[in-house]
Parts: sequence; C-alpha cells; structure tokens
Amino acid sequence: MIGYLGVDVGSVSTNLVVIDEKTNVVAYIYRRTMGEPIRAVQEGLRELKELLPLGIEIGGAGTTGSARYLSGVIVGADVVKNEITAHAVAASHIVPDVRTVLEIGGQDSKIIILREGVAVDFAMNTVCAAGTGSFLDHQAERIGIPIEEFGAYALKSQAPAQIAGRCTVFAESDMIHKQQMGYHAEDIIYGLCQSLVRNYLNNIAKGKELLSPIVFQGGVAANLGIKKAFEEALETRVIIPKYFNVMGAIGAALLAKERVENKPETSFKGFSTSDIDFKTSSFYCKGCSNNCEILKIEVGKEVLARWGGRCGKWEIE
Amino acid sequence: MKVGVPRALLYYKYFPLWETFFSELGAEVVLSSPTNKRILNLGTEAAENEVCLPVKIFYGHVISLKDKVDALFIPRIVSVEGGAYTCPKFLGLPDMIRALDVDLPQIISPTFNLKLGLREFYRSVYELGGFFTKNLFKIVMAFQKGLNKLDSFENLLHDGHLLNEALAGRFFPAPKGRLRIGVVGHPYNIFDQYISMNLIERLQKKGIKVLTAEMVEEEVVDKIVTGLQKKLFWTYEKDVVGAVFHWLDAKSVDGIIYVLSFACGPDSLIQILIEHEAKQQGFSVPIMPIVIDEHSGEAGLVTRLEAFVDMMSRKVGSEKS
Repeated sequence: MIGYLGVDVGSVSTNLVVIDEKTNVVAYIYRRTMGEPIRAVQEGLRELKELLPLGIEIGGAGTTGSARYLSGVIVGADVVKNEITAHAVAASHIVPDVRTVLEIGGQDSKIIILREGVAVDFAMNTVCAAGTGSFLDHQAERIGIPIEEFGAYALKSQAPAQIAGRCTVFAESDMIHKQQMGYHAEDIIYGLCQSLVRNYLNNIAKGKELLSPIVFQGGVAANLGIKKAFEEALETRVIIPKYFNVMGAIGAALLAKERVENKPETSFKGFSTSDIDFKTSSFYCKGCSNNCEILKIEVGKEVLARWGGRCGKWEIE
Repeated sequence: MKVGVPRALLYYKYFPLWETFFSELGAEVVLSSPTNKRILNLGTEAAENEVCLPVKIFYGHVISLKDKVDALFIPRIVSVEGGAYTCPKFLGLPDMIRALDVDLPQIISPTFNLKLGLREFYRSVYELGGFFTKNLFKIVMAFQKGLNKLDSFENLLHDGHLLNEALAGRFFPAPKGRLRIGVVGHPYNIFDQYISMNLIERLQKKGIKVLTAEMVEEEVVDKIVTGLQKKLFWTYEKDVVGAVFHWLDAKSVDGIIYVLSFACGPDSLIQILIEHEAKQQGFSVPIMPIVIDEHSGEAGLVTRLEAFVDMMSRKVGSEKS
C-alpha cells in the first residue's frame, strides 16, 4: 500500500499525518513542538512509524507550517507549501464548496476566504494572541477546569457573563470580578468563549464577507463552546471536520500526493531520518549594508540548506 | 555642480527627464544608492512618525546623499494635469526636509503646478534652469530633450517592459508561464526592491507574467475612469484604478495584487473603491491587498504570495481539466 506523509510544524504543535491513495487518514500524530522543530519532527516520525500498518510505503511527503522549509529539508519533502494553501486545500477537500475557513491554533489564528475554490483573501493575527488557544489555556487554568472539559461546561450555560476579550489581562480581572459576584463557572466560561469569538471577528475577520459553508479547524475547534459562540455570532452552522487539529498536515499530504503524480520518485528520506544529527547555525552576511542573518543546516560537513538572505547569494539548489 | 537626486518617490516617474535636463545644463547628477537597511534606518529615525514608509525612505535617501552633493533636487510637484493633484505629502516634501535638524546643502525645490496652466509651469522650468545657466534657449532645449527622453521611457513601459528594466535600460525576457498577475500600487513601493521585498522577482521566479499600471496608456486610463461614479482627483491613484479596470474589462490578468503602504491616505481609499467597484461590476478576479510598513517581515509576504499564486494555479488547473 502507498501512503502520503504530511508534516505541519507550527509554533505550538507538530502534526504528522499519513493518508492512503483514497485520501483516507491512516495514522496521525499531534504533539508539541516545544521550540525544537527538528526534534519534534524526528520524534514524531518515530511515533508515526509505530502506528502505521505493516507494508505501507511512503510515496510522497509534504511539509507546511512556519517551520516548513526546515522540516522539508529534514524529511525530504516533495512539496513545501505555506499553511494557508495547506489549510485551504484540506478544507476544500473535505467540504468542496467551502467559502470560509476559520482556523484557530495555539498561538495564531487565521481566516481564509475562498471563492470558487480560490483563496481570495486571508488574514492572520499579528502581535496579539488574545484570540487563540493559549489564551483559553491560561484562563482554564485560572478557573481550575481542565481545558478538555471547557466546551462541555460552556454548553451548560444559561446566562453567559459579559467578559472583556480584547486582552488576557482585562479578561482575567473581569473573570475574577464575575466570580466574586457569584456567577456560575459555566456562565463565565461561555462568556469567555463569546469574548474570544468577538475578538476574532473584530480583529482577524474585520471587513471580510463570511459566507457559508464555514469550516472551523485548528486545535481550538475541539472546544464546543467556541463552536457554539461562532454559530450564534454568525447565525449559521459551522462545520468541524473530523481531523480538525491536523488539517494543515492533511493538506500537506494531499499536496504531496498531487505532486508525485508528475514526479518519477519521492524525495522522502525514509523514517531513518529520525536518527540523523542535524545541526543548525547562523551568521551575519557582510556582503552589503543589508546585513542579512543567514541560517544554515548541516549534517556532518555537508550543508543541506541555507536561507535568510535578501539576495540569492547563499541559496543552495 | 553636483545635484543629488534621492532614489525614491517621484524618481520612479520622472528620473529620465530630470537626469537629461540637469546633464544638458552641465550639472552632474548624483543618485543615492538603492534602498537598503541603512537608508531605511536613517529615514525612520529622522522622519515624522505619521508619514508613510516611502516618505520615511525618502528622508533616508536625502540623509545618505546630503554630504556628497552641492545641492539636492526636491521639487514640489503639486499637479501634473488639469483638474487633479498629487499626494499631499508631495506638496509638502521640500518643507518637511528643510525642517530636519541636520545640516543640508542647498535645496532646489521649484513648484510644478499644471493647474495654474502651462505658463506658470514653464516659469518654474526657467527658474530651475536658472540655477545652472542664464541662457534661456539652453534651458528650453534641455527641457525639450528631457521630455523626449521621458517619452521614450514611457513608450518602453507601454510596450510592456517593467519600470526597473526601462530605467536601467536592461531588458530580460518575460517568464513564459500561463498565469498573469497585475501588480498595482505606487511605483516607488513596487519597484523599490527593498520596500517590496522583491515582489516582482518573486512572482517571475514562479513563472508568472507581471503587468503593472505603468504599462497602460494614459488615454485608456482616462477613458475608463470617466465611467466611474465620482471623479478621482489624485493623478497617481487614478492610474491605478484605470489599470485595474482596464485589465478586468480586457480579461488580461488572472489576479491582482495591490501593494499599499501603511498610513497612505489615498491608497486606503482607492483600495476600498477598487474592491467595491469590482464587486458591483460583477468581476470575480481575486484581488489581494498587501500592506507594507517598516516592520513588515518577509515571512508574511512570502506566505501570502505563495498562497495567492498556488490558489490561482489550482483554479486555472481545475478549469482546464
């Protein structure tokens, strides 16, 4: 059996997926990046290999996410794609006529607007993480309710509390105030979900036309309270795909499958790449007054890749 | 006499004219180097905080050039056609530079205002030429030569050559790919490789044929914009709107990228106008705005461009199959 590998290395999580020729998900891994993308990919591959049925052969590999070039070098990717394309491809594969993709991850959130299968607009949060998973994580900890049970609590709410969502600091003082006033935990939790959605719609989706079908993916889509808050705010149904938290990786795998159709053989280096010692280092180029910071990846004495320059001087083909 | 010309803002529109005019009058034209990190930093430190990135960069060019020349050429270009103005920042440019707290050489800043008619315009030309010679005939001849030079430069653009190639006089064959993207916005944003982070080269590397607003002739633009609900009174923005709707009408692009600078007043209005008008007229060509400022990271641009191009190729691919 032939499988296709998709790897999505983001700031918070590293996800790996193998799909089969019919694009069904065979196995997937969702793990923390912990600031070490190389290690996360190598260990992820090791874990993934254990989950795969015997006799499966990787026929193509794709990478995405903010560490897509780095992980592409490590796994030997046939295709390296930006996360917007990967998420859009995965969403439109599962819901072919999708027109809006809401994606909220650990530290970033984005919106992708599609029309006739084309991403015509997208936006990502910039410096503020107030509308993302880590914000919810932090507040769950404050209330003392595990994040996994957050959604169930939120759904029990009868009269949601009004919580300021523009900033974690304000939200926290608001929540303490509401607790001291005697509000139920579920009302505070759902109020928090509503404030996060309000924040997302005001900042990231500002000025965009959100048309159905709407797909909601990324780690935060696990939270049913957020889904409900989105549905109330948008007055329409929001679809959560089955593998919502690894959609980027699924997109990368789909793109890899597509790419190898026009390629004699895959560049995938095999699962043994987990045992190779990759070294990274950086230096400032003194070639001109731009002083670009160049990063390089080496194995032993061989330089695998260099990037970061404004001119093409340091690139390796 | 060494005349310094900052490689910024209207340099991208009129340099062939300026260079010819000054050289014909015996001056040596000194151009600042292409924008780099140092120039950007000089500019952002010196400039008012509220101005847009290209104006900040203009400051940087002025400062990098000031000790190498006898005079700086910073014209006050108010209007270049009847009934329309340029950006308000261009109107105040010489004053903004004079207000800088640094030692500056002489600043040559004639006012060009075609709204006051040709007579006033030529009076400014004579005044400018007067810095170099008292010979009126020589000034007229130099200006005529400059105009001819500007004409042939603009003809190159109308023939489909990119502005940077036409300025340098070096031409490269256009990529042979199927996709065509119109890149609009101010030439001083798009063709300053530092500001635009090599936007055009990045597209060309992906095999995309790039069209820009300068390639669309003035008559075509004027015809298109008369069909709009309201008259556009900024010349350079009018060119952008004209080009966009010319391409949409002629179906000559698969997508449009609008490069805006953060804090640009005209851009912020024109972008909305284009999106609104395109929607009203029922066009479905994707238009992607890219907003740049001095904090813009390359990663954000690369991700957006990749996504835009990918999605268009996927669309064209699916229509074909």
